[in-house]
Amino acid sequence: MIVARNLVKTFPMPAGPVRALRGVSLSIDAAEYLAIRGPSGCGKSTLLHILGCVDPPSSGSLSFDGRAVESLSDVERSLVRLRSIGFVFQRFFLLPMLTAAENIEVPQAEAGLAREQRRRRTAELLEYVGLSHRAEHRPSQLSGGEAQRVAVARALANRPRLLLADEPTGELDRATGDQIATLLDRVHADGTALVVVTHDGAIAERAQRTLMMRDGVVTAETRLERET
Amino acid sequence: MIGRAFVFAGRNLLRQPGRASVGIFGIAAVGALLFDMLLLSRGLVVSFRDLLDGIGFDVRVVASDAAPRSGPRLSDAENLTRQIAGLPQVDEAVTVRMVDATVDEPRSHWTIGFELTAIDPARRRPWTIMAGADLSIDSGQGILLNARLADALHARPGDSIKVRVSCIADRAALAPATFRVAGIAEFPFDDERWLSAAAWTHGVLGACGGGSSVPADMIMIASREGYGADGAVAAIRRIRPGLRPATNEEIVARMQQQGFTYFRQISTVLSTITMLFGFLLITVLLTVSVNQRLGEIATLRALGFSRARLAADIFWQSVLLVGTGGVLALPLGYLLAQWLDRILKAMPQIPASMHFFVFEPRALVVHGALLVMTAIVAAVYPMRLVSALPISATLRNEVVG
Repeated sequence: MIVARNLVKTFPMPAGPVRALRGVSLSIDAAEYLAIRGPSGCGKSTLLHILGCVDPPSSGSLSFDGRAVESLSDVERSLVRLRSIGFVFQRFFLLPMLTAAENIEVPQAEAGLAREQRRRRTAELLEYVGLSHRAEHRPSQLSGGEAQRVAVARALANRPRLLLADEPTGELDRATGDQIATLLDRVHADGTALVVVTHDGAIAERAQRTLMMRDGVVTAETRLERET
Repeated sequence: MIGRAFVFAGRNLLRQPGRASVGIFGIAAVGALLFDMLLLSRGLVVSFRDLLDGIGFDVRVVASDAAPRSGPRLSDAENLTRQIAGLPQVDEAVTVRMVDATVDEPRSHWTIGFELTAIDPARRRPWTIMAGADLSIDSGQGILLNARLADALHARPGDSIKVRVSCIADRAALAPATFRVAGIAEFPFDDERWLSAAAWTHGVLGACGGGSSVPADMIMIASREGYGADGAVAAIRRIRPGLRPATNEEIVARMQQQGFTYFRQISTVLSTITMLFGFLLITVLLTVSVNQRLGEIATLRALGFSRARLAADIFWQSVLLVGTGGVLALPLGYLLAQWLDRILKAMPQIPASMHFFVFEPRALVVHGALLVMTAIVAAVYPMRLVSALPISATLRNEVVG
């Protein structure tokens, strides 16, 4: 589904350019569960954003479903993100003026779904993340774990083929983090490819493959062989 | 997309009611001033034209370009008026003389001075009767008083007053002549404190002993249907090239270039400043709002909202703020215009029936267009901020922050 070759990302800084990625190559298959680990500042989030078509690489190539991402316009890349990729952030980033249900409806509305379809899909997703009873609550009225579950539901709203999660349990306590990890397992089991950037070893252990990064390069790759 | 962006912008405004209120009421205040400046820019011109047209005569003949009573007068006015009245382009021509007159107020024994207009009997009457009766053709000594003069004299229709009239400056005043008050009238060029009256020419000239040799201030002419005011003016210029005939339109244009130009300039300067304030207010509010929502905007971009889509959100916020404020500005501006009009009309020599602030549909259209322009220009900088927002760096800063 995703093929990245020799990705380099350089950020211009007043003190001189900083190379966040120094030639990362990887491929992600459909319905794969990949974890990316490494110390802070090693380029994990930068890689995730490039894989999610949010940020262009300084050099190297990226293709999504066979399409070269660098050749796409802003609108086309936005459409790829809207329809094929879901994002879950460490700090949830729910829209504070909208209810949980409305937050889940936002990407659907943007994708042009009719109101009735949106309502049906939102109810289905709230049920999926176990928050039907919180549909009309605003983010400020939700706990951290509930807000992250709403964020997962929002990321799944347009049935993406790839879900990217950046430290999804970083703001949560252990028990709540486990609930989110279990929810992500379920998302993966239902056929969505998952890339999780995490410091949390417990989450990484759930992935089929783990990339270890340091100083902008992948230093190790481990595969978990599951019994089928 | 427009509908979604509009609804989204509305919700973004509603989430910060304080900010939205500041924007809306700020624009309402600024818009009210802008609306008033637009009414002022042409108010006197429109009002003056209405005043001239309302009198019923569409051409005025004077001896020079000076204002009535301040320049040379028309000599041999009787023959001149007769000659002009005989032109096929002219339906009616009347001689107008404005003379000084006094009356001894019987109760206080004070002498009250006023301006007496002597006018030839005519079908058209440049006044409006408020009480009593109009002058009849045969009422040689009838007189119409304006309400302030009638009050000062404690005179009512049917009363007789003794008027001393002075037609010629160096001639000794004659004994007062008795005039019968036919009615109370409103004269179009009176200001709110002016004391004035009107009577037929032969009565006034008889009272001052001047006869027809007294020069006239002006000849008012009604053009004949089918020829128009321009036709009448051209015909008068042909037979009497030394005169200064002018249509109402020409008089208005002359005033527009001379006396009224100050108001237009003031209006232009103040309109520009008010628009600048409106622009700054909305730009600052939207920029602050964008800066407060950077994380949220970056999130929406990551979720698949395009740059154009989020810029549209800012644009519609600007339109909603300016649009709502602009609508509120109309009644506010109307009330403010009434108040300012009363203040300005208190100036001396401003006819009571003239207005500085006059509504025209054109003002509404220009007001709307200027506010739309303000909304667009005010949104440019915050839209640029949104469009240029780096998604990854912003999300990272939000997490680190």
